[in-house]
Amino acid sequence: MNVLIRGRFAVVATVLSGNSAAAWGFRLSRVQCYPYYPITPSTSCSEQISRWVNDGAMDTVTINAESEHSAASQIIAAGKSVRAGTATSSKGLLYMIEVLENAAGASIPCGLFIGNRATGAPINIWGDHSDAYAMRDSGVIQLFAADAQEALDNVIQGYRIAEDLSVRLPFAVNLRGFTGTHAYEGVEIPEPADVDGYLFPFVPLYPLFATEKPVTYGAMLSGNFYRRHKRNQMAAISNVPEIVLKAGREFGERFGRPYGLFEWVGDEKAQLVIALMGESASAGEAVTHHLQGKKGIPGVALLKLRLFSPFPAREIARALAKAGTKALVVFEEGLHHGAVFPPLAQRIATAIHLHLGADAPKVASVIGGLGGSEVRQQHFQLMFNLADNLAEGRPYRTEPYWLDIEEDPIFAESEKEVAPALWKKWGEVWKRQARKEQYFRPLPKDTEEIRIYSRAGQGAITSAVGFTGAGIQCGHQLLTVPAFGSERRGAIITTDTLVNERGKRKIRSFNRAWDVVILYDDTILSSPAHNVLEGLKEGGVLLVNTSRLRSAKIREILGASESRVRVFTVPASEVAQGLGLSHLNMAMLGALHRVYEKIPFEKALTYYEKHVPRPREASLEAIQQGFQQTADRQAASAKKERRFVVSNDFLDWRPQDHSLDLWPSALEEIQLG
Amino acid sequence: MNDAKRITAKGSQDSPDRAQLLSALSRHKEYLVSGQLVTMSDRELSPEKTAGNKEKVGAKHHPAAPQTLTLEEVARESPEGIDLPKVLSEMADVGPQARLFLVRSEGKVARAEVFEDPRVCTEIHRGAVVENLKEKPVDVSGWRTHEFFIDTKGCLGEECGRCAIVCPENAIHLMGRGAGSFHEIDPLACKGCFICWVECVRTAADCILVDGKTFDPAMRAKHFGE
Repeated sequence: MNVLIRGRFAVVATVLSGNSAAAWGFRLSRVQCYPYYPITPSTSCSEQISRWVNDGAMDTVTINAESEHSAASQIIAAGKSVRAGTATSSKGLLYMIEVLENAAGASIPCGLFIGNRATGAPINIWGDHSDAYAMRDSGVIQLFAADAQEALDNVIQGYRIAEDLSVRLPFAVNLRGFTGTHAYEGVEIPEPADVDGYLFPFVPLYPLFATEKPVTYGAMLSGNFYRRHKRNQMAAISNVPEIVLKAGREFGERFGRPYGLFEWVGDEKAQLVIALMGESASAGEAVTHHLQGKKGIPGVALLKLRLFSPFPAREIARALAKAGTKALVVFEEGLHHGAVFPPLAQRIATAIHLHLGADAPKVASVIGGLGGSEVRQQHFQLMFNLADNLAEGRPYRTEPYWLDIEEDPIFAESEKEVAPALWKKWGEVWKRQARKEQYFRPLPKDTEEIRIYSRAGQGAITSAVGFTGAGIQCGHQLLTVPAFGSERRGAIITTDTLVNERGKRKIRSFNRAWDVVILYDDTILSSPAHNVLEGLKEGGVLLVNTSRLRSAKIREILGASESRVRVFTVPASEVAQGLGLSHLNMAMLGALHRVYEKIPFEKALTYYEKHVPRPREASLEAIQQGFQQTADRQAASAKKERRFVVSNDFLDWRPQDHSLDLWPSALEEIQLG
Repeated sequence: MNDAKRITAKGSQDSPDRAQLLSALSRHKEYLVSGQLVTMSDRELSPEKTAGNKEKVGAKHHPAAPQTLTLEEVARESPEGIDLPKVLSEMADVGPQARLFLVRSEGKVARAEVFEDPRVCTEIHRGAVVENLKEKPVDVSGWRTHEFFIDTKGCLGEECGRCAIVCPENAIHLMGRGAGSFHEIDPLACKGCFICWVECVRTAADCILVDGKTFDPAMRAKHFGE
């Protein structure tokens, strides 16, 4: 916990994942009914809420729905009388859309948190905006968050906007799956009393059970009434931008974080603008700040949309006209099958042509980040160069460009580099593009980055989250992004932590140049699929948990005898075993402090004393011993390899035993025949 | 739900847990079933609760519907508990679409907010909600192909009432009380669906007349499959 003073606001920053932050948003909004059906990557939001409800921390009715369709139906039913919310993702959201139109049509202000995820086929659990785009015509207000803090704030503001008397519509808060929902960072949790002052208690316009005024929702109406009702519904949603601005301004006054319809990052007078939504903006921000004011580069800016539905067309057109924008590249993580442009580009292009006419900037569309593809800083260098070419009047595509498709790159020198069919169509455009070196100067490395290779189940995420909390307490900005996939327990996984030392600006994008690489298991050294030295900086640190290998031997295995990489070893398994701990992560956490000194060990310990997982004393001792026993060469002779004892109980366990334990009476019946 | 007590109903059909739960059921309690978990709390109108503060409990359980008033309605009704001149002036600033949203809780004004009604077509409620008591009945007599009439002599009156319960159109009403009571079919609301005639405990023997006839074997065969 860290007390930051921002103006008159004394706030407490806690380490939260995006999902937990959204759960805090629901908790602080005092949601009264929360039906849910879990789906990756938004599951832990619902898990957190049901845990709070069970512990009595939230006075909420949770319902384990039998499907997302039911969960959506239940928030609609509940939303007629109380404040209701749920969380979902991907196909779950698609399954909800059928009923969500009823929420919008019946003017029911319920809330959804969406961990944005790709939609199959093929099955893909990672982040993009496909699910949000699928729901864009359902009449739901769609807000996009760029980090965990925004997710929390947007849920609270979402209820404020949705319940406004001139709006009364459902809302959805979107956060990119995994890189947003499972990234751990410092989040300021507002005081409940302050939120109560910001958000009225829920009052239904037409309560379902008011005996003196009984009502019917969802009656069947003929065309005459139907079209007149739909006219009213559209009138209500067109009030949203104004209310979003008002709610965002008041939120800023109360909590110190003002919000608008979109965020303009970069130069006020920006000839080149990249428009986008959501978490991927972090890499774009880094590049925008890097390019600003550099030689040969006109004004650059990033237009980070917060409100997607209803689309604030007039306000965006005005902002672009005011900035004198000549070229606009719209980046988005989703498709609009068969349309000219994907949804965001289409909306922006329509908006500026309606509002600015002949003065409208040129618009190009770029698709990337699909299915969890990483959106890197280099991509934004490319896109700013593309925007420059547009502004210069070079020809450009009237259909979307793609990122990271080698057969269809944004810039290509010759026919040989691209798919043959495409050269016929776009060869002239490719030939007349100019790749300008001023956009591709080396990017600054303002952050220090740590990568952990571990086996799933060793507790690497727990230790990295602890480290993040300690770093935030020391006044730095930290971010931990674990990698998630289809790995089973025991597979090799990575967990990345970014340290922005005393950073004034929040940085959320990795350079992928590691200062420290940590191996929780020395067998990872011999994994054919993992090159642990890849991306490790010259002079960086390799820390290995081993009792049997000396650092010289590790160098030999890696073929890095001449490398300037510093190799440290720590017998963390031994430490954990000696203390009777089932996980070696705490010892590794201590060892990390030994090799990475930017976050002082003494200061971090005060954080660990409060927050270390149980058993607390043994864990703290493991942190201490891990710190002390880290060495760049093995002091004593290499010891015999030690492994955890595998008990007979473990080997004898069978899945069906578990079910019999739960149902003792059923077991008796079977025994009786 | 502060004094809610939890009972966990686990195990097979005949387990002691379940028997205990069933014996514990009381009509004065409310049961919320979620998966295997049953949450029990006092029903708002249980004798313990209604003894002292009857009105208060009722008010809490059935919140008064909030009011949405136009400027004319505010001026006419002058609702208590609000700063009337201020509200009227605010509403005048907004214009003809101004509405006052008035919420009362236990008799006191909990929220009074002036807002602009976003509707373009003001005769349709927000969310196309239909106010049941304001709905005018629609004449559906044209739907019928047969005429239905309840003979007061055959009808058991309030002792039975089956036809009134099963009528999908709520077209059958009990007239009178006690021994002389009987049911009557609203000729404007009856669509002629035969449900009352089929469900009648007296098998409509001399009770419900169809086209003036008490009993028609052909018609019975058609509806009962006899």
